[in-house]
Amino acid sequence: MEEVIGKVWDKFIVKRVSKSYENEKVFFIDKKKSLKIFYHLLGGDKSKEILITDKRNILKKRNLLEKISGMGKSYFLPWQDEKALYLPSFISTFAKKEDNEMLYFWLVAMMSKTNINQNNFLLENIKNSNELINKYEGFKKFYEKCSNELFQKDEELSFIKSLNEKDLENEYINLKPFDFWIYPALNTKTKFEEFEDEDEENKKKKDENAKTETLQMKKQVNQLDDKKKTDGLLIFLPDALMSILEQVNVDRSEDDSFDEDALYNATDLDEITLGRKKANLNARIKMDLDIETRVSEEVFLGKGFYLDEWDYKKNDYLKNYVCIKTIINDNIKAIPLPSRLKKIVKRVQNELDLMKIDKIKKDNLIYGDELNLDSWLDYKTSLNKNEHKQNFFTNYEKKNRSMSTLILADISLSTEAGITSEIRVIDMIKDSLMVFSEALTKLEDKFSIYAFSSLKNTKVRFHIIKNFKEKYSNIIRGRINEIKPGYYTRLGAAIRQSTKILEKQDSNNKLLLIISDGKPNDVDKYDGRYGIEDTKKAINEAKLKGITPFCVTIDLEVKDYLSHLFGKNGYVLIKNSKNLPKALSDIYINLTK
Amino acid sequence: MQETIYYKEQNNEVELFEAAASMDLPLLIKGPTGCGKTRFIEAMGQKLNKEVYTVVCHDDLSSADLIGRHLINENGTFWQDGPLTKAVRNGGICYLDEIIEARKDTTVILHSLADYRRVLNIDRTGETIQAHKDFMLVVSYNPGYANVLKGMKASTKQRFISLSFDYPSEEVEKEILIKESYCSDEIAKKLVSIAKEIRQLDESEIQEAVSTRLLIYAAKLIQKGFNPYNACMHSIVESLSDEKEVLEVLEKLISLHFSK
Repeated sequence: MEEVIGKVWDKFIVKRVSKSYENEKVFFIDKKKSLKIFYHLLGGDKSKEILITDKRNILKKRNLLEKISGMGKSYFLPWQDEKALYLPSFISTFAKKEDNEMLYFWLVAMMSKTNINQNNFLLENIKNSNELINKYEGFKKFYEKCSNELFQKDEELSFIKSLNEKDLENEYINLKPFDFWIYPALNTKTKFEEFEDEDEENKKKKDENAKTETLQMKKQVNQLDDKKKTDGLLIFLPDALMSILEQVNVDRSEDDSFDEDALYNATDLDEITLGRKKANLNARIKMDLDIETRVSEEVFLGKGFYLDEWDYKKNDYLKNYVCIKTIINDNIKAIPLPSRLKKIVKRVQNELDLMKIDKIKKDNLIYGDELNLDSWLDYKTSLNKNEHKQNFFTNYEKKNRSMSTLILADISLSTEAGITSEIRVIDMIKDSLMVFSEALTKLEDKFSIYAFSSLKNTKVRFHIIKNFKEKYSNIIRGRINEIKPGYYTRLGAAIRQSTKILEKQDSNNKLLLIISDGKPNDVDKYDGRYGIEDTKKAINEAKLKGITPFCVTIDLEVKDYLSHLFGKNGYVLIKNSKNLPKALSDIYINLTK
Repeated sequence: MQETIYYKEQNNEVELFEAAASMDLPLLIKGPTGCGKTRFIEAMGQKLNKEVYTVVCHDDLSSADLIGRHLINENGTFWQDGPLTKAVRNGGICYLDEIIEARKDTTVILHSLADYRRVLNIDRTGETIQAHKDFMLVVSYNPGYANVLKGMKASTKQRFISLSFDYPSEEVEKEILIKESYCSDEIAKKLVSIAKEIRQLDESEIQEAVSTRLLIYAAKLIQKGFNPYNACMHSIVESLSDEKEVLEVLEKLISLHFSK
């Protein structure tokens, strides 16, 4: 009961004081994308993010009502630093929704001008405002109308009306925030640096024994233990663990996981604790998985079956020498396309649109829909009519590319290697698979995805990510996301298995696209020449069956064995794996034209 | 007497064109949509008193469309020259617009014309034509559309001297707008600054930025008595994108410059 009355009172008094218009509220989240484009329109830095600002305290006199209600102490002020623009999570200052919305655009426009600091705060704000007003009719109208609205509401602010550029002292006054202004960045730099140093230490520690999940769990526990010496006991209860994590969980370090809703809900907190858990992020996610029992399970489909392998020394096949185990990951969490890939997918799809490769014209047919006058005239004018093929027709085939593509991804241990300190080869392979799948879905081509790694001839793990029948969906994305580096690269066996699958497709064109980061090798004799000869043999077998193999290799230089294996035009080298997702789509389109 | 085609020089392209024409060099012009490539060729044709044979290239453009083909009349078949052959025989500028739209194998027939030989071989009639002394080959394309599928063969590209076009500078563009649409200085200035802002977006947000041609359309509409806001909405905003957010922002931008 007390609580209810408290809430009612709070609502009443806040409404009384805040002088805002709840019904005309405009939310940042709804406008974020537009604001970003708008910022770019005005020449803003394209690498900057647009985020929600936190509350900050302003020291100023408060009137009685404000004191009673606890308001007027802190405000959501717009500001920017070199990483991002920070805007209020909602605006409800004005009586009209369109004006509230306009204020967002105004603020972004203000931020596209020079940055504001403690020293030039007033001067710059006035100067920039005037610039905008003079340049844009729309802003002029808006400013004149809405600033008056504010001045009438708030006498405290009306002195701003008479301010102009010339008679200003450059000093930062603690006055009531004016909604049209941009505020200096919070001075938090030193703090961040401290955090980062510590993070690196933690990372090092973690790297030493980050092999298994359990170890990591333990490490995490220890780390927490170190930091919070007082409550070490609680740590060993999963629930308590969660509660500790909740305490520090506002993760502001990663763009993807930037949870605007959470932040929005958190606007009522006076402070948001910045956790020092940047480096612990992985560990945290893994623990979450444990608790929610979302761990993916590998399911072996059958006991496995046997394939031949080529031994160049004997110049013969070793019959049923390699054991293929087909694996499917079960209990997968379906995920949508990660937002970091959306831009590139869009770009690839735009390109596909431009190409309009869905309709293909075929000339010189014996039968067809249209008469090809050219070839008929050719026939008429040719001297020797007996030799003419008399193929006078033209046909348009719609979306009938008759194409089946099998993507075979090498997920051997070497893909664990880092491209940069944060991105590993395997991450790039995953991203590529996702982007690529989007492109293929758009093209309406049939495709499947498999991944492989091997441990001697007895254990060639052949992961099904997507077979030809499955539809590309969130589950498939989830499977791609769950790919982990395995063991070694017995490429020949994987190619033979893929050939078997592709063979059953009844398309006219079959493409086997291999994404790899190195030579075929395994811990047994499958290394050096043996591996290469076997792979070569497997490729030739595939070619004989009408399959076109093509290899995309992620490496620093072209290795000789590649042209030996795939032929001069049968492979492509990608040095900068950052381009891989797009490069892959380009290659594919070129190949299947 | 034909009216003189208006063309405002941006850099030194007129000089370069004249030099190329006098030395029998083929010319390649690159530039975004609507920046004045075609207008430039037409103006130059008029200036140098050469006829311009324009061929707009597309996917299905065959070599017969360029060279010519046999046609039928009441007397049987006869040979009809294509635009390229006409220009080669009689002199003039053969202008292949958007050449990368044509298939690579089609453009190979240009090779013998685009180097020192300057001859055109016509397989079907067995004829070899030496180019007229006034013949000039000009091709253009839009690098924004270049992609893996389409692109010029390096061996084709290497036969041309290149001229790169971009949107005109603010001053020049303003002048063009006024000259083309007779709009007021103020309107032209605003349109140019709208264009400048839109051109800051990159390809992930908008496929291609606003062209000078669209600005001229907008200016003409305004000149016709349309409300500037509506004119810009119809000629600029709606033509550039179909995406909701982009449209919203562009609309905002227009409304900031021209109130409703």
